[in-house]
Amino acid sequence: MKHKYRFHPSEYALGENEQFYSDMEAAGWRLVKRGENLSKFEPTEPSQVRYRIEVSAPGFLEEANLSEGQLAVFADCGWEYVDSCGLLHIFRSPAGSGAPEFYTDPRQQAATLKKLKRNCIWGWTPAVFMLLFQWSMGFAMQGERFWPKFTAQFYRSWIEHTAILVACCALLAWGLVLWIHDTWQISRTYYRMKKGQPLDHNPKNRHLIFKAVHRSLLAVAAVFIVLAAGQLFTTVFSDLPETPEGPCLRLRELGWEGEPGSFMGKDSSAVFSRSLLADHWDTVEYLGEENSLAPWIYQDVYRLRDPSMAEALARALMTDATFYGDFQPLEIEGLDAVWTTGGLELVVIKGELVAGITYQSDLDPAAICKALAEKWAQ
Amino acid sequence: MADQGPMTEAMYYILLSLLRPGHGYGMMQRVKELSGGRLEMGPGTLYGVLSRMSREGLIVLTGEEGRRKNYAITRTGRDALLAEYRRLQQMVADGAVLEVER
Repeated sequence: MKHKYRFHPSEYALGENEQFYSDMEAAGWRLVKRGENLSKFEPTEPSQVRYRIEVSAPGFLEEANLSEGQLAVFADCGWEYVDSCGLLHIFRSPAGSGAPEFYTDPRQQAATLKKLKRNCIWGWTPAVFMLLFQWSMGFAMQGERFWPKFTAQFYRSWIEHTAILVACCALLAWGLVLWIHDTWQISRTYYRMKKGQPLDHNPKNRHLIFKAVHRSLLAVAAVFIVLAAGQLFTTVFSDLPETPEGPCLRLRELGWEGEPGSFMGKDSSAVFSRSLLADHWDTVEYLGEENSLAPWIYQDVYRLRDPSMAEALARALMTDATFYGDFQPLEIEGLDAVWTTGGLELVVIKGELVAGITYQSDLDPAAICKALAEKWAQ
Repeated sequence: MADQGPMTEAMYYILLSLLRPGHGYGMMQRVKELSGGRLEMGPGTLYGVLSRMSREGLIVLTGEEGRRKNYAITRTGRDALLAEYRRLQQMVADGAVLEVER
């Protein structure tokens, strides 16, 4: 049998859900199952059917399901049980069947919404606690370096994975808008019922502004996810090429000869990726036998679409350096700016090119910079 | 229960209906009958009130007929109902002054 799936209104919009299912039935689609986000429908003769939602309010560790006895009373009153999802239990009855409304006193119905309202308002707290816990662990391990390092890593991610970060921000904004709207909606319903106003089973206000914002954010997220996926497919993972095609160096160009090897199980390799803000080469090269103390070099080289971001990226690379040290400026002809810790770490800018390099102490930073200056001049 | 203040209309009529033990749907019919058709109770209201009164010991589950559960009023429930009846009677008597002043 042919089925149809549709996104249903939020679980906190009870009247909208009832109206949605009635409208679907009038259009010839009968509700079969309600999931977290989607409802499943089967074809039926179009008819006028009332849908109603009962909300359960179980105590701690109690089941949310309605009891058999309760279902029996609803059935005796002419309400056919359809399905449950979380705290919501859906019933239907043909229009004009005379089945009584679930509640004659809205104040009593309001009591059933307490748990649903609490879930809506406080449901996000575990995620926030997890985030705070993670941050406090980071702070405990890294002390005052934690926050600058966190922001530097965020900035690097912004440069390297712009599309996916925009998509994540759009999804976060979508979640926030949804939460604010849901909280407003369930709280308004709850307080109206407490004042004696019954639930509106046929709401006319379809929240057009909210829906426009909600769908726009989802559309932005979807576009950037597609963009990010497209860019991911253009990422090239490879062994170190004989002649690097990008603006990165080979140890050979610094006067070190030998076959690329591996260190602690990691092979010499190159990754090229592209984001909306930059092209990025991430290379690692070892010479010599496994785990020997032969020369090695790690490079993160960026070609920015906007050169004015170069200094900010250089600052982020220094803050996020593997071997934290006091970076000092170094004057090298042919490069706009160079900072080095004197050994192991080097950050270089020229125009739209920025490099963060970590190298073995046998290598000379001035020699690396000169080689880069020559290469980047071409 | 008498110390807990006035009963809701739904509680009062459900306790009244349970002077004759019965199941949920039967109670709804009986409430309608007792109130002369004035009070038509919904299944949500009924079950909410039954759960609360069961917790408070005013009614007790006496058995099951298929999916249906049968309830009966307890001694405490009967006392509470009588106390509420007396209270309402007193209120009506007090309100008789309206008839004189009319």
